[in-house]
Amino acid sequence: MSLNTTLETTNDTAKIFLSGELDGSTANSFQEKIEEVTNLALNRLVLIMEDLEYMASAGLRVLIFAKQKMGPNVDIYIVGAQEMVLDTIEKTGFHHSVILLDEYNP
Amino acid sequence: MHESRDERESPIAKQSLFESRAEITPFLRPHTLSMKPLIVAGELESLTEIAQFVIKATQKASLDKKAAYLLRLAVDEIATNIITHGYKQAGLAGKIYCQAKINENALIIILEDTGVIYNPLQQEKPNSLHKPLEQRVVGGLGVYLAIQSVDKFRYERLGERNRNIFIVYSQASQKSLFYDQNSRA
Repeated sequence: MSLNTTLETTNDTAKIFLSGELDGSTANSFQEKIEEVTNLALNRLVLIMEDLEYMASAGLRVLIFAKQKMGPNVDIYIVGAQEMVLDTIEKTGFHHSVILLDEYNP
Repeated sequence: MHESRDERESPIAKQSLFESRAEITPFLRPHTLSMKPLIVAGELESLTEIAQFVIKATQKASLDKKAAYLLRLAVDEIATNIITHGYKQAGLAGKIYCQAKINENALIIILEDTGVIYNPLQQEKPNSLHKPLEQRVVGGLGVYLAIQSVDKFRYERLGERNRNIFIVYSQASQKSLFYDQNSRA
């Protein structure tokens, strides 16, 4: 099982592309990417999840970490999440705190 | 399919499956297919092997994609809990024993460990599901998702072992249950 994360930052936006599987053994690499941007003056954290095949609660834990570390003024976007990943996000009420999009067109 | 917490809990069995090979539950029928058990170290690196084991079982049982994903999620969450809380945080080391049993009615996955005693069914449902992330406390979501994601979840304590049992009914058996209930009505 593997997770690939790629980070792009432009102006006030950090964009992280996630692909593969996000579970307890791979969540650290996602958290490390978040930690790289928590000190930047950002308004948006954009998570591109089109190629994320699986997400366990370890991924949700990182989202809580991101929100609490970056503060309420940073909006978190989740883009292109697959059906079952979305199901987990909704079952746990995370959809109330993030912006869900099919595509990201700033 | 919707049962109360107490009804989901099973009586304490006397011996481990891996010690006794005893039949564990009335869910098992004569034509039960057992996969070769998987025994892995209680470490996060083992999650991949556990996931592969569960995925293989879902394929043998011909579960649909959604049910297969949810069963894998349930087992993954409980296994992660065993590894991080049952073993690592308690300063213990041990293994996770995985079994899969398939019959015409259900797919049953069984995880056993020798970590700290823990019954997931006794954990309260998280009360922060509607709170913004800023106000969330980390923890509890994995067990909540696990129990939500299977048709039936059982916990048993067997001597020194925790046993977590995940049951997903086959679509055919659900359909016949539906018709049975309707015909009785």
